[in-house]
Amino acid sequence: MSPVAAAASEDRSVEAATVARWLAHETRAREVLVTRLERLPGGAIQENWALDVTIDAGPWSGSHEWLLRTNARSSVAASLTRTQEFAVLRAAHAHGVVVPQPLFLCSDANVTGSEFFIMKRVAGVAAGHRLTREAELVPDADALAQELGANLARLHAIVPPQPALDRVLAPPKPDYALSTVREYRAFLDTLADTYPALEWALRWCEIHAPTDAPVALIHRDYRTGNYMVDAGRLAGVLDWEFAGWGDPREDIGWFTARCWRFARADLEAGGIGRLEPFLRGYERASGRRMTAGDLDYWQVMAHVRWAVIALQQARRHMCGGQRSLELALTGRIVHELEYEALAIIEKAAR
Amino acid sequence: MSDISDAADLLATAREALAHELLPLLPKERRYVGLMIGNVIGIAIRELQAGAAAMAGEAERTAALLAVGGIPPGRDTEPGAGAPRELRRALCAAIRAGRFDEPAASAALMGHLTRTAADWVAISNPKALRSS
Repeated sequence: MSPVAAAASEDRSVEAATVARWLAHETRAREVLVTRLERLPGGAIQENWALDVTIDAGPWSGSHEWLLRTNARSSVAASLTRTQEFAVLRAAHAHGVVVPQPLFLCSDANVTGSEFFIMKRVAGVAAGHRLTREAELVPDADALAQELGANLARLHAIVPPQPALDRVLAPPKPDYALSTVREYRAFLDTLADTYPALEWALRWCEIHAPTDAPVALIHRDYRTGNYMVDAGRLAGVLDWEFAGWGDPREDIGWFTARCWRFARADLEAGGIGRLEPFLRGYERASGRRMTAGDLDYWQVMAHVRWAVIALQQARRHMCGGQRSLELALTGRIVHELEYEALAIIEKAAR
Repeated sequence: MSDISDAADLLATAREALAHELLPLLPKERRYVGLMIGNVIGIAIRELQAGAAAMAGEAERTAALLAVGGIPPGRDTEPGAGAPRELRRALCAAIRAGRFDEPAASAALMGHLTRTAADWVAISNPKALRSS
């Protein structure tokens, strides 16, 4: 657990009795008994609580293993609110994307002190360092890679207009790639130092920006570490706090980028499998082709994006009053991300 | 060979003590912090040994790139430590203005940026360097 998360858990708590009372109303039960309410490790921006309940009477009568997701104290402005995330999760679930089923939303911050939602708790392993090292967790890597590709295609089948989403999400940006370049540059301009390699990668992304601009619901953190694998199968995609309208190819670049392959840099599909079955799964389910040029482009963008996030983390340590070894080390990966982005640009030029 | 330890030798000795005397005693949930500290000491040692040369090399190559493009290197507001930062800033402005878009210029820029990034990766995480 990071020091940030540890600090957050100390000054916040979710009261079992409050949740039970609220749930009794939501589930039209006679009584709700909370048998477990326990903060799960990880999550500096969001808190996840294991929530076990026994419900007496009503449509949800019986015992359930759920998960309560709420804001941590140190929230970051860039991510979605729980109300927005719940709407995204609902849309994804309705379109057959493998996610923990969203159940109940409480937008009223007065109930527990912060808005929250409840979803089904999915079993399995998400940790990237384990999924890419322990072969027994992924007995059929090609099948999992293909499943992850097809699953992403189902998400990208959600295109505007979607009234339920349009109410809560920012409208799609025209020229998504170019507006992303502008956004990253504006951030770099706020920093004390300058970064020539990132600057060149952004210039390259500007010059090579795609001429077509497909728009779909994208996850923006679809990568190993953010999905659960149970018995070798995809059990649920987690952490939807960065989702929004955008170019679907960004998710593919992010998923396949070298920086998210953990222990297996040689396995292009998120360190768990080969690229070919992942793209086959995606292309079959979406009818969209991802060219080698698209892949290079969005992988460069992925490394720049991760570098921008790493610089934000480094600043929390350097000047945000959150001194932390982990945040400091995250800042030092910027060089590696620059190095990888340059290698892809070099390869693309040949 | 010196008679007494310099900073790099002190850090290397501290890292040995951490690895052999402390890490085995740490409870499982604290092991990650111990490993991070070992990692940090390694970076500090390599930066002490190669950081100044990396900075100087970067500044020298940047000045050459800017001179070829006829780009003023900017004001040297802080003598010494300020110069490499000012050069970097001027290079970034030139890149954004499209001064390195032409194939010959971008090839020279790529050579410089890749060398610079590799020098810093050799300090931060040498395992990530590729042999080619």
